Amino acid sequence: MKKNVFSRRQLAVPYAIFLFLFVIIPLFVLIYFGFTDENGRISFANFLHFFGSGKTIGTLLYSIVIALCTTIFCLILAYPVAFFLAKGNFGRKQVWIMLFVLPMWINFTLRITALKEILTVLEGNLAYHPFFNTVLCMVYDFLPFMILPLYQALCKLDNSLIEAALDLGASEFQVFYKVVFPLSIPGIISGVTMVFLPSMTNYVVLDMVYNSTYIMGSLIGSYFSSYDWNNGSVISVILLLMICAVTLLSERFTKQEQIEKKSVLK
Amino acid sequence: MGRGKVYRKIYGILLIGIFLTLLSSCGKEETDTIVLRISNWEEYIDEGDWEEEDAISLSDGTIILPQNSLIEDFQDWFYQVYGKEVKVEYSTFGTNEELYNQITLGDTYDLVCPSEYMIMKMMAEDLLLPFSEEFYKDSEYQYYRSGVSPYIKQVYDKLEINGEPLSKYAAGYMWGTLGIVYNPEEVTKEEAAHWDILLMDKFQKKITIKDSIRDAFFAGSSIYQKEQITNPNFLIQADYKERLGELLNRTDQEAVDEIEEILSRVKDHVYSFETDSGKADMVTGKVVANQQWSGDAVYTLDQAEEDGILLCYSAPEEATNLWFDGWCMLKSGINGDFEKQIAAEAFVNFISRPDNAIRNMEYIGYTSVISGGESDWISQYIEWNYGVEEEEENQVEYEISYFFGREYFVMTSQDQTQRQLYAQYPPIEVMDRCVVMKYFNPEENRRINRMWTNVRCFDLAEWWRKY
Repeated sequence: MKKNVFSRRQLAVPYAIFLFLFVIIPLFVLIYFGFTDENGRISFANFLHFFGSGKTIGTLLYSIVIALCTTIFCLILAYPVAFFLAKGNFGRKQVWIMLFVLPMWINFTLRITALKEILTVLEGNLAYHPFFNTVLCMVYDFLPFMILPLYQALCKLDNSLIEAALDLGASEFQVFYKVVFPLSIPGIISGVTMVFLPSMTNYVVLDMVYNSTYIMGSLIGSYFSSYDWNNGSVISVILLLMICAVTLLSERFTKQEQIEKKSVLK
Repeated sequence: MGRGKVYRKIYGILLIGIFLTLLSSCGKEETDTIVLRISNWEEYIDEGDWEEEDAISLSDGTIILPQNSLIEDFQDWFYQVYGKEVKVEYSTFGTNEELYNQITLGDTYDLVCPSEYMIMKMMAEDLLLPFSEEFYKDSEYQYYRSGVSPYIKQVYDKLEINGEPLSKYAAGYMWGTLGIVYNPEEVTKEEAAHWDILLMDKFQKKITIKDSIRDAFFAGSSIYQKEQITNPNFLIQADYKERLGELLNRTDQEAVDEIEEILSRVKDHVYSFETDSGKADMVTGKVVANQQWSGDAVYTLDQAEEDGILLCYSAPEEATNLWFDGWCMLKSGINGDFEKQIAAEAFVNFISRPDNAIRNMEYIGYTSVISGGESDWISQYIEWNYGVEEEEENQVEYEISYFFGREYFVMTSQDQTQRQLYAQYPPIEVMDRCVVMKYFNPEENRRINRMWTNVRCFDLAEWWRKY
């Protein structure tokens, strides 16, 4: 009897159908609405409208700043955690990992509602620090998405490389800076993509912590709720292009890293 | 034939089967049962399951304690009266825009319950089917015709789109005002009586406003026009109400720019633009006042009362927004099916029967457009809810004659004149300064949406100036 009943190609059919129905088709619908006007004629007016208004550009920058801050804080918090989880010398590692991933088991709106109450006790009136609260809640929300890829990457890192570096007289800082960090960059990149892009659009967090300024996600939502599908779509397309750019860039990075990795091993 | 091939075939058949079931569920066969597809607001109808202690006992000895949901009761009632099975497919929507998008995307409903401006928009776009002549005839089961408040009827008659009155295409359901819920320990009645409470230094970051373009626009418009609409000479004009409506519905660029400036300041000043956290934040004391629809206000006041906090409601003195939701039949849904139309109209009539109107009011906290006509159950319900014994101190006479179209006073406590009763049945002074907000045509809509985006987006220039 053959080991596999289905060929690989057949096993891919359900996902291919899913992909086609719910990803590819909507994408074309999005592009269609993005580059037509309300009468269905091809137009770049929506595109120009987005880049022609200081306010929408402001919102784009505001979203980027929020996403950047979230990503940086996530990275700063997650890296040491992931490092000790991966390389630390203590028992019950699985339990610790579970503890860090545990928050993901609870719905995030629930978690933020709880955090909101704690912050109210600490800060008094939340409305005075909307930016800080937003970033804090986003970090809280997305932290596990940063820890996991970093942990994976650091686990794969061969301990003998660290030992070799130490044997050859590198200081601990040099070991980190010249061996551990470069080799963990793929993990950093996948962590960053998993945190940066969602935090640009997750407007539920902003609503919940009383930040009344729009980010990209809320802007898209507001256009759609006022039946302006064209402007809403074009912003989605712009975001999509940004995602593509980030992915391409990170791919180039990882390729470079692979070359560097070889040079580390030389 | 290898085993693999058999599995492959089964797999293929399964896939095809799934698709077929998906397809077939779309085109269900019609049977004798009339299927009525209704779309209503979330939590906007009595869903049954009342506790014993929730029973409403009217002064004539009637006790209202429903067990089933109104939908189930309607299906039974329809069978008894019309001798036909009807099956209601009930779904809900969250905003008028959501409903409109669903309809334009091809979802079909027979009967929907949008707000006034959406009714007007749908009328203008010729999506609605007029109610039949039978519906307006004075006969046995026409509970809507015989029970609707004369005041509300007059509002529906007066509003016109393309020369046709709203009442031809819509039957009222719930109505109310837009106002401010406030905590009397922190905010005085006088302060809450003006829309500019949203900009008062004293309440910096302590008030929330609805995250809704139209509600924010109305508040902004009232602040913008304050000088003019509170001018004594303006108030005594013969056509005061029409002029008030015109001013508050101004959507020319100049007005919209001014309102944008006001709302930008409001945005920096308020605690937040909220969608539904406002009620909870009032109870926990995070905010001391918030903009609210009267029906939600009643609910908030009730909830706070359970936690031992006394809140009040105010319909600001400049002007308030009279809103209402109404039942409309969709052309695309009814599609010439006469039986369906009868069922849809019967549904409107059934929920307009005074006892059912009371059930809905008690369950959702909003005010029904039904005043009961010959039946005095609605007024008995008001007395059951808010009435006080003759001997009690601080009692006042509260007049709501306009709503019933006959002289009607209820003896109530002083408190209630600023609380639930006031929110549910505002006095005539409030009704005199009520304005219905028109629907905006596409061009106006674009202008106002742009204004809203400008208010809500991050203002780089402002930030630059600051730092």
